[in-house]
Order: sequence, then structure tokens, then C-alpha cells
Amino acid sequence: MRLAHLADPHLGVRQYHRQTPSGINQREADVARAFRLAVDGVIAARPDAVVVAGDLFHSVRPTNAAILFAFKQFQRLRESLPSAPIVLVAGNHDTPRSAETGSILRLFEELGVDVAVDEARRLEYPALDLSVLAVPHHALVAAERPELRPDGAARHRVMVLHGEIEGVLPTQRHTVEYGGALVGLRELGIEVWTYVALGHYHVQHKVAPNAWYSGSLEYVGTNLWGELADEAEQGIRGKGWLLADLQRATVTRKPVPASRPIIDLDPVHGEGLGPEVLNKMIQERLRALPGGVADHIVRLRVYDVPRHVARELDHASIRAYKAEALHLNLDVRRPEVRRTVGVGAPGRRQTLPELVRTYLANRPLPAELDRESFVRVGGELMDAVERDLAGA
Amino acid sequence: MTAPPVGRVVATELKPSTPHQFHFWTARESAIGIGAIVRVQEAGRTVYGVVTDGFAYSDLVTPMHAVLGADGDPVAAGQEPTARAEIRLFTAAVLRQMPEEPLQPVPLGPVWLADDADVLLALRMDSYTGGERSSGVPVGLYAAGGLESPVYLDCDFLLGPEAAHLNITGVSGLATKTSAVEFLLTSIFQTFPPHKGSVAALCFNVKGPDLCFLDRPASLSPEDCRIYARLGLRPEPFPDVHYYAPLRPDGVNLNTLRTNEALAANTEPLIWGLREVLDYAEVVLNRDDIDAKADAFIDFLAERVVGREYQDDMLRGRAFQVQSFADLEEFFRAIFDFMEVLGKGGEVWKTHHLATIRKVRNRLSNISTRSKGLVTDDGAANDLPWGSFADRSVHVVDVAGLDPLAQDLVFARIVSKLREHLERRDLGVDHVVVFVDELNKYAPGDGPETYVRKMLLDLSERGRYLGLVLFSAQQFRSQVQRRVVGNAGTGVYGRMDADELATPGYATLSPATKIKLATLPKGELMVRHPHFTQPIFVKFPRPPVLGGREGIERYPPSGDVSFTEAVARRLRSLDRRISPDSVYAAIDGRREEDVRRALSATRRERPVDPFTYFVACLGKRVAAEVVVPRRGIPAVRRGDDGYGA
Repeated sequence: MRLAHLADPHLGVRQYHRQTPSGINQREADVARAFRLAVDGVIAARPDAVVVAGDLFHSVRPTNAAILFAFKQFQRLRESLPSAPIVLVAGNHDTPRSAETGSILRLFEELGVDVAVDEARRLEYPALDLSVLAVPHHALVAAERPELRPDGAARHRVMVLHGEIEGVLPTQRHTVEYGGALVGLRELGIEVWTYVALGHYHVQHKVAPNAWYSGSLEYVGTNLWGELADEAEQGIRGKGWLLADLQRATVTRKPVPASRPIIDLDPVHGEGLGPEVLNKMIQERLRALPGGVADHIVRLRVYDVPRHVARELDHASIRAYKAEALHLNLDVRRPEVRRTVGVGAPGRRQTLPELVRTYLANRPLPAELDRESFVRVGGELMDAVERDLAGA
Repeated sequence: MTAPPVGRVVATELKPSTPHQFHFWTARESAIGIGAIVRVQEAGRTVYGVVTDGFAYSDLVTPMHAVLGADGDPVAAGQEPTARAEIRLFTAAVLRQMPEEPLQPVPLGPVWLADDADVLLALRMDSYTGGERSSGVPVGLYAAGGLESPVYLDCDFLLGPEAAHLNITGVSGLATKTSAVEFLLTSIFQTFPPHKGSVAALCFNVKGPDLCFLDRPASLSPEDCRIYARLGLRPEPFPDVHYYAPLRPDGVNLNTLRTNEALAANTEPLIWGLREVLDYAEVVLNRDDIDAKADAFIDFLAERVVGREYQDDMLRGRAFQVQSFADLEEFFRAIFDFMEVLGKGGEVWKTHHLATIRKVRNRLSNISTRSKGLVTDDGAANDLPWGSFADRSVHVVDVAGLDPLAQDLVFARIVSKLREHLERRDLGVDHVVVFVDELNKYAPGDGPETYVRKMLLDLSERGRYLGLVLFSAQQFRSQVQRRVVGNAGTGVYGRMDADELATPGYATLSPATKIKLATLPKGELMVRHPHFTQPIFVKFPRPPVLGGREGIERYPPSGDVSFTEAVARRLRSLDRRISPDSVYAAIDGRREEDVRRALSATRRERPVDPFTYFVACLGKRVAAEVVVPRRGIPAVRRGDDGYGA
């Protein structure tokens, strides 16, 4: 019994301003391509069941192109795997806030896809001795949550859930997906399931030997540099989906080749350097890329560059590189400002996160609040905002 | 003063009167006995004394004269024409002299049996009874020669701050210890003056059903009711009693004899999590374990790991969030795995030796295994209402069914918490009486130093300043740590074992007093109190609450019921309107662990609608749908998919 586990395709997401020759946002096309490749891979692997753990679309009202594309891919999947159950749950991105909006995901029911949008569904497939509890985002944020436990006598008990499992993701991670429902590890009861297919966190992650986040199929988060950093820290290269063998209790990564290189170049330290030297260093870094920057997504951080030096950089050449790349983020950062505080007392001016931390550490609090954790949470949120801004 | 004198003081060269003792003779029919209080009044001096010994003799020079006089025939001895003169002589210890200065030998004067007013003066009770700011607490009736007088203890010397603590000694099974404490608590609760603040009691039920029915009335005899009336008390059970008992290992049935459904409303489970246990981890370590290294590692766990996020990239990529014993085990596992990878030389982790880590882990996991019902693994605790103890409330913690190690833990934690809150003055009451039975066991005179003994010693030495008062009881006072009983301002003695009376601790008692103590009937006690210069015998009524044995007959324990029924009962104790059938339906087919967690959450939250909350915690059932494979999906039309393929 083999199960294909996909999550977070985020079809319809648009990033940057480059368009394909047919006028489609390039990243939107990249994301579609990744999904198409994943479907190709699933068809080739011929699993017994397919689950998509949420966020098929990036928004509640995706573009017509994205809907049409998704429909065709599911139709392809259905045609190629006529007897394999396909289970799709709604994530936080494709769940409407009000019931009257309705969900586009129901469209795929016409293709025999079993869709869970508002309520959790327990789907029994007697021929496969398989029971799937499909838990969409909405069911987890409702006043009464579903019981996350298997039922019945099926041999293979699978749960598909879109949300964040409390306390299992790295605390120092660089990227955070907001808006996911929090689920406690004990509430999840991993040990009673044959396999738990999770969606929401975009970096592939093993929660337990039988519980995985498959990760997104492309870099679709708000902070793709953070995603890259998380992947590097966890020793993961690139995106993909998972093929779980429920009998042998093995999980195999199935990579999806990236549409284009996404490169975070080593930073340049510009302290004490003039504009000419800096121009040279920037160009050397960009030229050193195999094949140049064309169609790449590149970031280059340049630290400690005063405003007047930054003004003197060769902006014409930088513009040329930017035009060539799909996206070039030349992140020129000014040196840390040191100012005199008070009367002649030298002191460093606090950064915004430091200012926030100091404020939170001193503001009056209700007695029952633990100040230490209050300040820590505030600091983490601030850091996340900083990282997002840096990655944007 | 209308009653005639009962005797007259005598003093000879061999038996002189002193300022602390005198002798007096009485008629043969006199009602004087050991323990009777008498008054001597002569020439402007009044002396009160308590009878401590008695003698009777005749004018015979030797016993041989009696034998020869009756020709050796005991029958003839009774037929002598004249009765032989017999003298009754009593020895009394001085209780009080008025005026107190100059202190002189007791004058030769007539002796009267003390009446109510005399008893009040003799025992110096006039200084704390009567008036607007009376602080007397009735302890029983002094009775002699057909007279009865209430005896009061001074609450300043019973509950602090002048002195404090009370210790009761007596053999088991003669309604001494438990009954006396129950009666005394009733007396304190009914008479403790409002200007002294508020008072609550916390009792540890260490064996059987002794303290299990403090909220149920006993059927008292008319004589008992008369004594209550004479003492100015109402024979009523305690109105505000809360019971706490750990759960059985099944996690739903209570480990107590108070399981009758009629008693469920105020019986709550006592459940502690890792944090509660870890704060008192020293208790679970035995003497050999207590060393600086184990202490340091426990401190490390308490301060850096438990209840917070602990990140150590060497152990694993993500942070540890240790909230429960299961989480702690995972943390230990990660350390051991890491050390194994290090191989040889990997014996120290963050300056803690592997052997120390293993020892602490074993002791902690031991407590979670051996006290499964007390210690929960899901981190949710159900504790005493710290900070909201009500005035005149009684909290009974039933540890009778617990493993000794867990009993120690319960003692240590509860008493320490009481002390902490009283130090901060935020417990909710000003004074707390803690009753601990079987002091022989918890604070023995010999044997290894234990955490509980240290804690009881600290309580007895420092408690009175805080309002934390120890009422303790044991069979053998001589076998208890001397400083624990020595610090008890008030001592109460029931019937005693002769061997125990032969120990040095009772050397100050006269042989007659010892004999009286060894044969003391039910319902009588000897009391020592700082205001009384000599021990006094008093009668006390049966306590107004149901005794253990009677209680068990009237409210038989329901025994361990099935899991589902136990859950229904626990929910019904929160809301009587919940029908058992609805509970059965709600938990049918659910995992016991999930039900336990939902029950625990409901109990903790105490929502307005417990059943709805409980069901929400369980999670909505998701009905199964058998999916029929669909046929006839139209084939894909090849062509552009919109994104260029």
C-alpha cells in the first residue's frame, strides 16, 4: 500500500513582475510547472492513493487559469490512476472566511476527488483496507474540533491534516507560515496512525517516522531566503513530494526539479570601501554565477555601505543585472548607527527589535502573564517581521 | 461556699506542706479521687491543688497484728466488734496560690472540692476566658465529686503566636486520637474568636476511613449532647469540608474509601504533574542519593528545562518543551543517545555525570510509575485551592492508599505550599491547623534523616509565627523526634500503654497518675497546657461527625466501577443534571486516554456547562463514509493547460 503525499502547491501565487511570453506571471507558471511535474511523478510511481494536504490554491479566489490548470491536472491524475483514491483537504489559504463564499475545491469532486473543505471527513476505502481522516483547516479552527482518532477496523489508517503541530518545528527557523491552526502533539496521537500526512510548513520535515510535512512544491512563501536557510540547516536540497509505503513503514522523498536557480550569494562587507571597489566586488560576485544571472532569482547582501557610497554605486549596471535576472535583490545595508545618547554619553542607538524588547520588558503586565515568555514571543514576532522585510 | 469542706490539710515532719505540694485527709466516703481539683482557704490565702496521689492506712503497727487479731481467719477478720480506724490521705500538687507573692507553704486549713469558679482560677483560665476578647477554646469537662466544669485552652497558646501545636498520645482503638482531634477542631471552629482572624484545617488521612466523614453528622447520646451544651458548643458536623484523593492507576476511580456516590460532590481527585513533583524532588531521593551532584542536576532541570523551551542543537534540532513525565523521558533519551554517539569519554553532559543523570531519571520515573494515580502524564494538575482557603473550612487529603514514597511527597509538598502561602499572607486564612497522624512513622526519633522529618521539625519550630499549626498524634510519644513533640505547647494523653508510661518522658507523673492514665476510660483525656501548672483530666463528648467504621457502614464505598461509570460519576459531581446515559453515549468507542484528558480539562476549567465542554474536548465524531469509486470520468483533452504545456 503506497501513498503519495503532496502539500502546499499554492497554485496561482504571483511573485515579481516577470511574465511569460503568453503574459502569465513567471512565478505563477513556475509553480504550475512544479505541480505538473509532481503529478507526472505521482502517475509514474503509480501509488494506491494520493493525498493533497492543503493549500492547493494560494488564495480563496484563484485565477481562472489556475482553476483550469488544477482541474486538468486532477483529471490527468484520475485518468491515469482510475482506482486510486485522491483526497484533497483545504488549507488556510484556500478556505473562505465565510461559508457563503463557497469553495472552488468542490469542483474537483466532479473528478472523483474526495474533498474536505469545512468539516473533517472519514473516508473508507474497503477495497484498499484504507481509512483516511481528512481534516481541513476550517475544522481545526471551529469551536468544536473533530476527534483526531482512527475509527473502524481498516488496516491502513491515514490522517491528512493542514496545520501547525505545536512544538515540533525548529524554534530557530527562518520562515514562519502564518494563519495555520495549532494542533497539540497529544491531540494528534501520532502513534495510533499508520501515516499522518501534514501540510502547512513549506520545508519538508519529519515529525515522527510516520508523520511528515511533505513541504511545498516550489518556493512560495513570503520569505524564500528563510526557506532556503531552513533547508540548508536541515540538510534538505530543493522541493518535492513524499511516497509513503504503509506496509514497510518507509517514506521516500521524490524531488521536483526547480524551475530556476534560486541563489543567495555570500554577502559583501563594504566597510571602508569606496563605490568603485564595491561596484567591482558586486559585479565579480554576479559574474561568477555559472551562466550569469539570467532568469535566476538572486540575492546579494552588501553590508556596511553608507548612504553616500550607496548613492555612488553603478546603478545603470545594477539595473542591467536586474533586468536580466528574474529577480535580483541587491540588499545594500547601511552601517549600524551609533549615536550619542543623553548629555555627551556615548551609546548605541537601539534597533527597532531591541526597542520593542525593552518596551515589552518594562510595560505594566497583568500578574498572571509570564513576562519572560511575553517578551520572547514579542521578540520572535518582531524578528519574523524583520526577516520578511529583508526577504521581500 | 455553702458546700462543706471535704478534708483538711495535714503536715508532719515526715510529710510537710511545701509551696508546691501538700497533703490532706478526708472522710472515707469522700468523692476525692486522682485528678480532682481542690481549694484550701485559710487566713487570707487561697491555694488550689490537683490530687496526684492517695494513701489509706490504719492504726496497725504491722500487718501481723491484723492476722493475729483475726486468728488468721479472713472471715473472722470481717466480724470484729469494732471497725478499725482508717485514714484517707491525699497528696496534691499546687496549681495556684492567691496571692502569688510571697510564695509560702500551703497553710493548714480546710479543703474544699473546686467548683466552676475555682476551676477557672485554679487553671488560670480567668486570664483568657470571659470578657470581650475571650480566647478560650473548650477542651472538655473537668469532673469530680458530682461537679463538672468546662476547661478551656488559650487559643494564643494553641494556634499561636505565643505557643502553638498540639500533640496527642494514646493507644489505638480507644477513641482517643482521631476523636479528640475531631472534637477539638469542632471546638476551635465554633469558638475561635473573630478578632484573632480566620482559621482552616488540613488533615491527612493516613489510614482507613478515619477522617472520611467529617461532613456527616453522628448520632450522639443524650449524655454527649449534654456535654456539648455544658461546653457551649453545637454538636454539628463541619459545614465546609473538601476531600482530595489521588486516582487509581485507571485514572478515573478515586483511591479512597469515600467513593459512595452520595459523597461525591465534595470529593476531588488530587493530581500533580511534573512541575509539582520536581519542585520537591528531594523527597523522592533517598539518603544515599542526596548529594550536591544530584541536587545540581535537579536544579538544572527545574530552572532551565521543565516548563520552558530548552534548545540544545547537540541533542536535537528542535527545542524541547518538557511539560510532562513523557516529555522528560524524551529529553533524557536524547541525552543518552547523544552520549552513546560520543562513545568512550562521553560520560559528562554539561558538567553532569551520566551516572547522576541516570540516577535522577530513575528516581523521577519511579515516582511516576509507583504513584500513577497521583502523578499525571499529561501535565494537567488538580490541586488544593491555594490562595482561596475559606475561613472554617476543612481540607482532607486522603493518602491512605498511596505508596509510602508518594505519601512523603504529598506531605512535603502540601506543607511546604502552606508555609509559602502563609509567609506571603495569601492563603486566604490566617491560621491553618495541619493534622498528621502516625507521627511515629513520619518523624521517628531514630532512623535516617528524611525530608519529611526535617519538614515537620521546621514546622514545629517555626510554624507558630506563620499561623501554621501542627496537630500531631501517635501511639508512642517516646518514639517520636523529641524536638517535634517538645515544641507542642499543648499535650493531650489518652489511655496509655504501661510500657510507654515507664519511659523517661513520663517521669514527672506520679505513680497514681500513671495508673489512671493506663486505665483511662473512653472519652477521657489528660491535658497539659502552658497555663496549667499540672496535667488535668477532662471528659470530652463523642465528636459530632461520623466515625470511620460507622461511616463505612452507612456509606459503603462503591468499589471500583467501570471506566465509563466512573467518568459519568465524575461529570455528575460537577453537574447533577448530566445523565449517565448521555455520558456513556459520548464516550462510547473513544480511547480511554482521550476521555481522561477531556475529563481532566473539564474538571480544571469548571465550565458553566460541563457536559458540552467535555464533549468538545473529546472532539466531534467524524462519521465514516464508504467511498464508492466513480467511473466514467471523461478523458483529458490534450492541449494547452493554460501554463504552456
